[in-house]
Amino acid sequence: MLEIKGDMKDMTKDTMAGAADRRRAASGDPLGPNSEIGRKLKQYYDELVSDNVPDRFAQLLSQLEQAEPAQKKD
Amino acid sequence: MAAVSQGFKTDLLGSIPSLRAFAVSLTQNADKADDLVQETLVKAWDKHESFQPGTNLKAWLFTILRNEFYSQMRKRGREVQDSDGIMTARLAVHPAQHGQLDLKDFRGALEQLPEDQREAIILIGASGFSYEEAAEICGCAVGTIKSRVSRARTRLQEILKISGEDEYGPDAISAQVTGSNAA
Repeated sequence: MLEIKGDMKDMTKDTMAGAADRRRAASGDPLGPNSEIGRKLKQYYDELVSDNVPDRFAQLLSQLEQAEPAQKKD
Repeated sequence: MAAVSQGFKTDLLGSIPSLRAFAVSLTQNADKADDLVQETLVKAWDKHESFQPGTNLKAWLFTILRNEFYSQMRKRGREVQDSDGIMTARLAVHPAQHGQLDLKDFRGALEQLPEDQREAIILIGASGFSYEEAAEICGCAVGTIKSRVSRARTRLQEILKISGEDEYGPDAISAQVTGSNAA
């Protein structure tokens, strides 16, 4: 079974992406732009992120939406 | 159960590229990764009420995906990651040419890492999470994430035959690599 940790709720958007990036942009970051490993890691990941998303996922969400009990949707 | 809002649905759709990238990083297999993303979306939909608007949706979704990945692994009993042998074929790593590591070699090296180290270095070095966020996602201490990232980095350097970047700095590294090729 899946459990989502309660602590996750405490994460705010403020702590997200931006802050981490800024911290890491500082020199001396072992995975920063001066690191070959860091650069390759981002290249590897960016390639995956930019992959075209198959239609099945949009279809899945539409199906989930249609399967919902008829209630008002905001 | 309250209806899922359009905003939530839109955010889910927008998260799919990141979820797929993380799933591929974990499973090292495109088909398994997409199945994992599908499971994650269904679970997120069912549990949407436990998500608090304004908090980090990406981290919430990554947590679901990761939990799903490990629960599937437990169910199946740990199968060997590289069942096809496709990955192994890529593992012959040659010294980098022109100071540039080949992405294929890098992928091969990443595959050799234990899952816990691979996910840590991906979350920190590629997905843009902080150490604190990565610790939340993995359900472990910040120090554990730090040591996993550090071990992952050391191991990648060993596999890829990159000398310690700490000691020499990037300029010395590129000089070294290009120098060895020129010789």
